[in-house]
Amino acid sequence: MLQKIYDWIDERIDITPIWRDIADHEVPEHVNPAHHFSAFVYCFGGLTFFVLVIQILSGMFLTMYYVPDIENAWNSVYYLQTEVAHGQIVRGMHHWGASVTIVMLLLHTMRVFFQGAYKKPRELNWMVGVLMFFIVLGLGFTGYLLPWDNKSYFATQVGLEIAEQVPFIGPEIKTLLAGDAEIVGAQTLTRFFAIHVFFLPGALFALLAAHFVLIRRQGIAGPL
Amino acid sequence: MKSGKGMKFVGDSRVRAERTSQIPKDYSEYPGRTEAFWPNFLLKEWLVGSVFLIGFLTLVLAHPSPLENVADPTIIGYTPLPDWYFLFLYELLKYEFASGAYTLLGILVIPGLAFGGLFLAPFLDNGPGRRPPKRPVAVLMMLLGLTAVVWLTYESAAAVDWEQLAEDNEIVLADEVDIDEDDPGYEIYQDNCMSCHGGSLEGGPAGPSLLESEHDVDEIKEIAVDGIGEMPSGIFSGSDDELETLAEFIVDVTGDDED
Amino acid sequence: MSEKKQQVSRRQFLNYTLTGVGGFMAAGMLVPMLRMAVDPVLQTSEEGDLKSVDLSVDDITNEPQLVEWKIDQVDGWYESEVTKSAWVFKDDNGDIIAHSPVCKHLGCNVTWEGSEKYPNEYFCPCHDGRYYKDGTNVPGTPPLAPLDEFDQKVENGMLYLGKAKPREEA
Repeated sequence: MLQKIYDWIDERIDITPIWRDIADHEVPEHVNPAHHFSAFVYCFGGLTFFVLVIQILSGMFLTMYYVPDIENAWNSVYYLQTEVAHGQIVRGMHHWGASVTIVMLLLHTMRVFFQGAYKKPRELNWMVGVLMFFIVLGLGFTGYLLPWDNKSYFATQVGLEIAEQVPFIGPEIKTLLAGDAEIVGAQTLTRFFAIHVFFLPGALFALLAAHFVLIRRQGIAGPL
Repeated sequence: MKSGKGMKFVGDSRVRAERTSQIPKDYSEYPGRTEAFWPNFLLKEWLVGSVFLIGFLTLVLAHPSPLENVADPTIIGYTPLPDWYFLFLYELLKYEFASGAYTLLGILVIPGLAFGGLFLAPFLDNGPGRRPPKRPVAVLMMLLGLTAVVWLTYESAAAVDWEQLAEDNEIVLADEVDIDEDDPGYEIYQDNCMSCHGGSLEGGPAGPSLLESEHDVDEIKEIAVDGIGEMPSGIFSGSDDELETLAEFIVDVTGDDED
Repeated sequence: MSEKKQQVSRRQFLNYTLTGVGGFMAAGMLVPMLRMAVDPVLQTSEEGDLKSVDLSVDDITNEPQLVEWKIDQVDGWYESEVTKSAWVFKDDNGDIIAHSPVCKHLGCNVTWEGSEKYPNEYFCPCHDGRYYKDGTNVPGTPPLAPLDEFDQKVENGMLYLGKAKPREEA
């Protein structure tokens, strides 16, 4: 039955080559920790992706309870942490996941850097990777305003002040981010929420797809 | 690739009717044993992932995610700290050469050079060699940058008393305390004391909670005027009648618990 | 089934193991999240307190009248005062009945004698649903069940109402 459904779809849109390309390629010996233990450094990229998946899933579930509104944001976070079963764990996964993402990302970046794996022809993939690094930092920054506690408020305040000091367009950047020239409040929170939940993840997904396509195209860099 | 005559497609689409076998690309140019990504290699990756997940969940269960008091823009004496991965930037801006007249250096030039360099690394380090000894400049720059970031983060974190910070920021639920906000004393409290001792006398980083205070009316009047411990004198401004009302209000609130 | 031994090939074995490990990872991630998501489903609803509706028993007539009262509602982190309403009357035995105005069809509000065409019946304007005075749905109209009735008690001559509950036998 399943086979028939698959064949029916495959005849029309020819999906076999797509997954065969992912599944059937060979992995060289030098990245396989089973052959050389030192090859564990090649796991960092995959683990970064894994934490990102955890972040996406836990974030999706957190929005079931969270409201981006200055009256209720803190209350809803407090509620989900104290009243909802496993709410503490899911928020914990998202909170610590953010830190772990940065750690794994750093390790992955260092691996690629010190192996010189970004050299021709892989320059483009390196730049895509660095852009993702910036996006993840942006996600971290916009993310911690959301619980609307003192740390959120003041860290955001400081961040916005820094943006304001940029020459010429500083005040405009700040207003664009905060939604108001002076107040860090309701409009800031909704903006940061939108950036954190839609804009940056959207950009991240696009770059992530590009990252993986490029890896399949170019293959893993050869041994040193 | 064959096209045109002889090609058959599914309907009027571009999907070919005759399938050619899918020959996977191999890594024959590399010496040694290669293996299939699915399922051989992926199994190893996922085993590593499982161990990683167990470690991660242990971390999550051992350390509940922190939440501080609800944002209060008027709070005094609060030390705002970013998450650890921004501490290095935070610390950088404390230095003289990166603040004041040189703010631009701190917020744009230094981070811009560092991140710009990272972004453009393949073009700055464009020699053929991949081994670190063959590209000493790039490797040195990176080591220098890493050291700077680690050192700045350490400097910043070492200056913070984390336990004290956690204690100051413990959540106080306002509705656990029953305060009569219509009391004339509360208004005087708002004007004189609230910025340090909090909207419901719960205390804050700059002033202790008044709820466990055991002072009587006269002592409170004295403290409000002359200060005590870290509290400076002359905080209270108002008439003697107001002072009396205030002290009675505070004793009223704190005394409630004993009934 | 033939007698031939089913040999598990190395590739098959690896596939099974891979599925197992993948399942473990997915479960480790998703179990806390799903438990959090289904939490509201697993909450047992507590018996609400009965609240005074500020209506004296003596003022209740045989004609259903709409009473409104306020309750404190806790909705997760959001606490508010919401208005509830009920159609209250005395039936032929003198027992007080409080019908929920919520139509059992799709949740619109019904009105006593809301249509001139159907006297002595509850009428729902949305899809012309009708109920007899005792709350039973008129056969052939959209609603499939009688109107809910509120828990109630009388104290010091005043009426107290609680939660609306489906009538026992439909």
